[in-house]
Amino acid sequence: MSSNIYKNKKPIIFFLVPAFAFLVIFLYYPFFQNILNSFKAINNLGSSAKGWNDPWYTNYVELCKDTNIRAALINTIKMIAATIIGQLGIAIVLALMVDNISKGQKFFRTVYFFPIVIAATALGLLFNLVFLYDKGMLNQLREIFGAAKLIDFKDNSHAMLTMMIPVTWQYVGFYFIILITGLNNISDELYEAATIDGASRLQRVRYISLPLLYNVICTCGVLAVTGALKVFDLPWIMFPKGMPSNSTWLTGTYMYYHAFESHNVDYSSAISVLIVVLGVITAKIVNAVFKEKDY
Amino acid sequence: MKKMMAMLLTGAMVLSLTACGNGSSGSTPAQSESKFGESEAAAEADKEESAPEKSSGPVTLNVTTTFAGEDTNAQNYQDAIAAWQDETGNKINDASGSSSETFKARVISDFEMGSEPDVLFYFNGVDSNPFVEAGKVVSIDEIRQTYPEYAANMKDGMMGASPVDGKNYSVPVNGYWEGLFVNKAVCEAAGVEIPTADTTWDEFMDICQKIKDAGYTPIAASFAEIPHYWFEFCIYNYLTPATHNILPESSDDEHGQAWISGIGDMKVLYEKGFLPENTLSATDGETFQLFIDGKAAFLIDGSWKVGGIEGATDDVDNFTVTYVPGKGERKSTDIIGGLSSGWYITKKAWDDPEKQKVCVEFISYMTSDEMVSNFASVSATALKNGTQVDESQLSSLAVAGLDMVAGATGMAGAVQDQVTQEARVPVFNGMPDIVTGKADIKESVEELLKLVAEGQQ
Repeated sequence: MSSNIYKNKKPIIFFLVPAFAFLVIFLYYPFFQNILNSFKAINNLGSSAKGWNDPWYTNYVELCKDTNIRAALINTIKMIAATIIGQLGIAIVLALMVDNISKGQKFFRTVYFFPIVIAATALGLLFNLVFLYDKGMLNQLREIFGAAKLIDFKDNSHAMLTMMIPVTWQYVGFYFIILITGLNNISDELYEAATIDGASRLQRVRYISLPLLYNVICTCGVLAVTGALKVFDLPWIMFPKGMPSNSTWLTGTYMYYHAFESHNVDYSSAISVLIVVLGVITAKIVNAVFKEKDY
Repeated sequence: MKKMMAMLLTGAMVLSLTACGNGSSGSTPAQSESKFGESEAAAEADKEESAPEKSSGPVTLNVTTTFAGEDTNAQNYQDAIAAWQDETGNKINDASGSSSETFKARVISDFEMGSEPDVLFYFNGVDSNPFVEAGKVVSIDEIRQTYPEYAANMKDGMMGASPVDGKNYSVPVNGYWEGLFVNKAVCEAAGVEIPTADTTWDEFMDICQKIKDAGYTPIAASFAEIPHYWFEFCIYNYLTPATHNILPESSDDEHGQAWISGIGDMKVLYEKGFLPENTLSATDGETFQLFIDGKAAFLIDGSWKVGGIEGATDDVDNFTVTYVPGKGERKSTDIIGGLSSGWYITKKAWDDPEKQKVCVEFISYMTSDEMVSNFASVSATALKNGTQVDESQLSSLAVAGLDMVAGATGMAGAVQDQVTQEARVPVFNGMPDIVTGKADIKESVEELLKLVAEGQQ
C-alpha cells in the first residue's frame, strides 16, 4: 500500500498546475495577445486598441521598410559576434590561465565574477563617466599624455565599440565561472599521465582541457548568443533612443523605445514578434553549431 | 498516510495561493468599497437627481497624483494630505507615482479597467485625451452647476483647457515657464552683455559668435536628446503668443512655414558651431554640466530648472534667467509657459453621493490660494490674486525668474504639448539628421503632421 504512493503520479499534477497556470497567464497568454496587438492600432500603453490596422499587416510592411530596424538587426548580429569572441573567448583564456595557477584561484574567481553582481544601470553610469566627452576618464588620460583634441567616444564612428566594451566586460565573469567549474571537473590523473608522457602545458590544454571542456563551451555559447539577443539595459543607459543618429539601436532597445517613448505600442508588438522569431531561428542555428558530444 | 500528507500539502499550497490572491484585493479595501458603493450610488442617482447629500461619516478617497519620488512638491503634498485627514477625519488612499511613461500607462490602464481613482492630479494636454474622450472625468462647468464656488479663485482662461473639446476639466496648481538661463561668468569672460528684454535674435547671434570666439560654447543643448526647448522658441520667433499654439494643417500654411523656418534656425545654430561639439551624441545631463561648469553660456529650460541649478552649484548668484531673444513679430518678452497639470474629479466619484462633496472639498483645499502659493513658489499659477511668495527666502536666480514672468508681455503654451510622443519622432528624434542635412526639414514636418492627423482619427 505504502509503496503505491510512488507509482501514483496524480499528486504531482497538483504541484505542477500552479507553475503551469502561472506560465500560461503571464507568458503564453501575453505572447499570443502580443501577436494580435501587432495587427491592431494602439497608441498608449494600457489603452485598448482603436481597431485593426488597415491593412492588418501594416506593421510588418513597416518593419521591412524601417531603416532603424535594419540597423538594429545588424547591430544585434555585431553584438552576438562580440559576445562570442569577447565574452566567451576571453572567459576561456582567463579560465585556462587561472586553472593553471596553484595559488590565488579564489581571488581571481571573485575578481572576475564581481561585475556580474553590479546592477547594469550602475555599470552604465560608470562607463558613461569613463567615456564622457568632457572630463571623461579616457579623455583626461589622453590629455595627460599630451593629446590636444578630445575624442567623442559616443559619436557615430565610435558608438558601437563604446557600447560593446562594457557589455562584453560585464558578462566575462559569468562564463569564466562556468568554464572554471568545468575545468575543475577534469580529473587530475589525466594531466599527471600527460605530464609523465612529456606533454607541455600548451599540449595539455590543447589535447585534454579543451576537448573535455567542449560541452561546457557549447552550453556557454548557447547562453551567450541568446543573451546577446536580449541585451537591453546597459545599451539603453549609455545610448538612449539609438543615439547618436539612430546608429546604436538593438532589437531590444528599439522595441522598448516604441512601447514606452514613442507610444507606438502595436509597432512595438510587431518588433517583439520579430525578436521571438529571430530568437527561435538563432537558437536552432546555435544548437546546430554548438552541438554537444558524448564522450 | 503518505498519500494523506501529499494531499494535505497540495491543499495547503492551493489555500496559500488563494490567500495571496485575497491579500492583494484586501490591500485596497477602499477600492472594493467604492465599487460597491458606486453601484448603489448609481441606482440612487437614477431615482432622484437631487443635490448631493452630505457625507454622514468619514470617507475614504482614492487619490493618484504625480507628487511623488523626486518631485519638488512630494513632501508638500504629503504634509497637506496629512493635515486634511486630521482636520476632516476623512482618509486618503494615496497611489501617487513619479511622472513617467509607466505611470501614465498605469493611469490610462486604470481608467480602461474601471479602477480609476476618485481624484486625480494629472496632465491636461494630449495625455488626458483618452479619459476625457471616454467621459470619465467631470468638467468644471458641470461641477459648478452644483458647487458654484468651485475653483472660483482661478482664472478660467488659464486653467488648461482639454485639447479634446476646449473645456476645463482640471484645476491647476503650479505651472511652468521657459526662459534663457545664463552663466554670468562665461558672459563676463567673453566680454559680452547678458541678453535683456530688448535683445533681438540677431544681436543674440552676435553675442554667441563672440562667446565662441572667446573659446566657450555659447549654447548648452543636446540636440540628440532634448531639442524641445529650442524647437519651441525658434518656431515661436515666426509666430505670436496668439498664434503659437495653432498646429499647422500643412507644411505650406502660415504655421507650417513658421515651423520650417524655426527648425531652419536650429540648423543654423548647429552649423555656426554655437552648440557643444558633441551635441548630437551628448545627453541633456552632459550639456547641463557644461553650463554649470562654466564652459557654456546659455541654456533654455523650464522653471523646474531653478531648483536643479541651485542644487548643482555652490554659487547660484553666478546664474540668472532672462528672456529668449525674439525675432519678427514675437517680442523677446513673449514667453512660453502654462499650467500643464491639474486636479480632476472622476465621473465614478462624482456619481457617488458619499464621495462627491468630499472630492470637491479636497480639491478646494488643495487649490486654495495659500496651498497653491506653497506648491508653486516661482512657477506660474492661475490664481486670480497671484501667489504670495516671500522673496527674501528665494535665491537671486528664483527672483530673476519671478521678475521675468512679471515683465512678460505675452505667454503661449508649448505647442509640442499638442503633439503626441509618437508624432514627435520625425522632428524631435530626427533632429540630428535634420541639422546635419541628412533629412529634409519640410519632409520631416510633413511626416510629423501626418502622424498627428492619424492620431486624431
